[in-house]
Amino acid sequence: MTHVLWRELAGSWRSTALWSLAIVGILSLYLPLYPSLVGGDMQALLDSLPPDLVTTLGYDDITSGPGYVQATFYGLMGFFLVTAASVGWASQAVGGHEQSGRLELDLAHGIGRGRYVLAQALALAIRVLVLVLVGTAVVLGFNTSAELELEVGPVLVAGAALAGLALFCGVWALLAGAAIGGRALSAGVGALVAVAGYALNAVAARTPDSDWIAASSPYSWAFGDAPLQGGVTVADQWPLWLFVVALPALAMLALRRRDLRG
Amino acid sequence: MSTAAIEVADLQKHYGRHTALRGIDLHLAPGSVLGLVGPNGAGKTTTLRILLDLLRPSGGSVRVLGAEPRRGGPALRERIGYLPGDLRLDGRTTGRQLLSFYARVSRPVPRGRDEQLAERLGLDLSRPVRALSKGNRQKLGIVQAFMHDPDLLVLDEPTSGLDPLVQRTFLDLVREARHNGAAVLLSSHVMSEIQHVADDVAVLADGRIIATGDVAALRRRAARRVRAVFADADSEAVWDHLRHLPLRDTALADEPDGVRLDALYDGELDALVKTISGLTTAELDIQEPDLEDAILQLYKRPRDPATKRPPLDLASLVDARGTAREAGR
Repeated sequence: MTHVLWRELAGSWRSTALWSLAIVGILSLYLPLYPSLVGGDMQALLDSLPPDLVTTLGYDDITSGPGYVQATFYGLMGFFLVTAASVGWASQAVGGHEQSGRLELDLAHGIGRGRYVLAQALALAIRVLVLVLVGTAVVLGFNTSAELELEVGPVLVAGAALAGLALFCGVWALLAGAAIGGRALSAGVGALVAVAGYALNAVAARTPDSDWIAASSPYSWAFGDAPLQGGVTVADQWPLWLFVVALPALAMLALRRRDLRG
Repeated sequence: MSTAAIEVADLQKHYGRHTALRGIDLHLAPGSVLGLVGPNGAGKTTTLRILLDLLRPSGGSVRVLGAEPRRGGPALRERIGYLPGDLRLDGRTTGRQLLSFYARVSRPVPRGRDEQLAERLGLDLSRPVRALSKGNRQKLGIVQAFMHDPDLLVLDEPTSGLDPLVQRTFLDLVREARHNGAAVLLSSHVMSEIQHVADDVAVLADGRIIATGDVAALRRRAARRVRAVFADADSEAVWDHLRHLPLRDTALADEPDGVRLDALYDGELDALVKTISGLTTAELDIQEPDLEDAILQLYKRPRDPATKRPPLDLASLVDARGTAREAGR
C-alpha cells in the first residue's frame, strides 16, 4: 500500500507545487491590502451595499482582521483553490487511473482493491494538508506586517476547517470514481458537492430563520462558527471529518464489488 | 504439480442485457500453452480479465492456480503475469521506474531480470513511458508480465504492434516460460500468430468455445500448398511420378524453365520429399498448413449462440477429407 501511496505523491509533486504557488500568490495579493482597507471608507461602502449581497458574499465582518482573512481566503479563494485541487486529485485517484489503463495493470499485480483506495485516500489527504499548511504559513507570515491581529490557535483551527471542507468534496469524487468510474463523472460529483455546499451556506446566511439549511451545508460545518475569531475547536468540525473518514471506507467496499471498466 | 493452472467450467458473463460469455470451459495444465483464438468481440478479453479478477463472472466456476480469483486476491495475482490487450501507459516515469514499481508490488524479481528482458526485446528503459512508440510500450508490457517468473502468464493479443523480429523473441520467451513449468494462456484474433507456440487451441466466437484442437496434430494433418518447378521434364512425366501422392487442386504447366506444379498436399512431408527426389527440382516452396483458413470458415458456419454444443475438434476440419477449403460447407 505504501508503494501506491508514494508513487501517487511522487507522480503529482508538480501539481502540488503549482497549487501551493497559486495559494501563496493569492495570499500575497490579498493580505497586504488589509491595512489600506480598514483605513479607507470600506465600512461606508459596505453600508451602501444591499445587506443581502453583503451577507451572501460573507463580508459582514470584513473590516476586522479575522473577518477579512475569512472572507477573502478561507471562505473564498482558499476554499476554491484547495477544493479544486482536492477534487482534481480525487477524480484522478480511481476514475482517472481507470480510464488511463493504469488501474487495470496495478490490480493485475499484487495490489488489493481496498488497499489501493486507502492509499489513494491517504495520498489525497497528505496533499490537501500540504496546501493548507502552505496557506497557514503564509497567513501567519503576513500576520504582523498586514496588521491582521490573528491568533495562532484559531488560524490552525480554520486551516483544519479548510482541509476538512476540501477533503469532504474530494472524498465524494473518490467515492464516485470507486463506485461508478470515470474521471469526468468523479470530478463532476466533487464539484457539485462543493457548489451545493457553498450555495446552501449563502442561502442560509440570508435566511437566518431556517437553521436547517445551515445545518445541512458542509461549508457551514467548516466556517459557520467563524473559527478565525476563536472559541472553536477542531472537534466542532466533526460532521466534516466523519464524512472524510467514512466515504473512503465506502469507496474501498465499492471498488471491491464492481467490475473494472475497460 | 497436479493442480491445473486454469480450470474454467460453464463461465458466463452478462453486462445488463448483453451476454459476453455464454458458458465456456477451459483447461490449462502447468507447462503448456493454450491459444485462445477468435474474432473481435468474441469474448477473449472478457475471459482473460475474469481470470485476473478484474471482472467478476456472472455464472460458472473459475479456478486459477487452484484458487478462485476473487478469494485468491493479491497473493494469487503475484503469481500471474498479465499483459492487457489494450495496454496504455503514460506519464513521465521511465520504463525502469515503472518496472521497479511493479517489481515491488509483485513477487520478487530476480536481480537484473528486467534489464535482461528489455535488452532481448531491444527496449530502452531510460526513456519516459509517454515518449515510447506503441511497439515499445508493448515490449514494456511484456517485460512486466514476464519479469517475476510467474506460474501463469495471461497474455492478451501479445504480439500486436511488434515487428517480426521482436515477435520471434517473444515466442522464445513463451517457450522458455513453458519449459520452466509455467502455464501460458494467450489470445489472438489470428491463428498464425500463435500456432508456432501453442500446444492447444480453443476457438471462441459469440461467447462460446466452438472448436478446440491439438496444434501439433493439426499441423500434421492439415493440407500444405506446394509449389515447385521441375527442370528437364514434361508435365506427363512429372505427373506419372507424382500421381500416387495425395495431391488436390493440382495444376501442372509446361513452361520454358520446366514444369510448374501448384497443388494442395494432404500427406506426410517425408513421402513428398522422397518422391520428388527422383525429379530435378529447380524451385520448391512448401507452405505452412493454413489453419487460418479453416478457422475463418468456421466463423462463417451458421450457429445458434443460445444453444450450447460440444466444441468441434479442429482436426476434423482440416483432415484429408474435410479439408480446410471444404470446412465451410
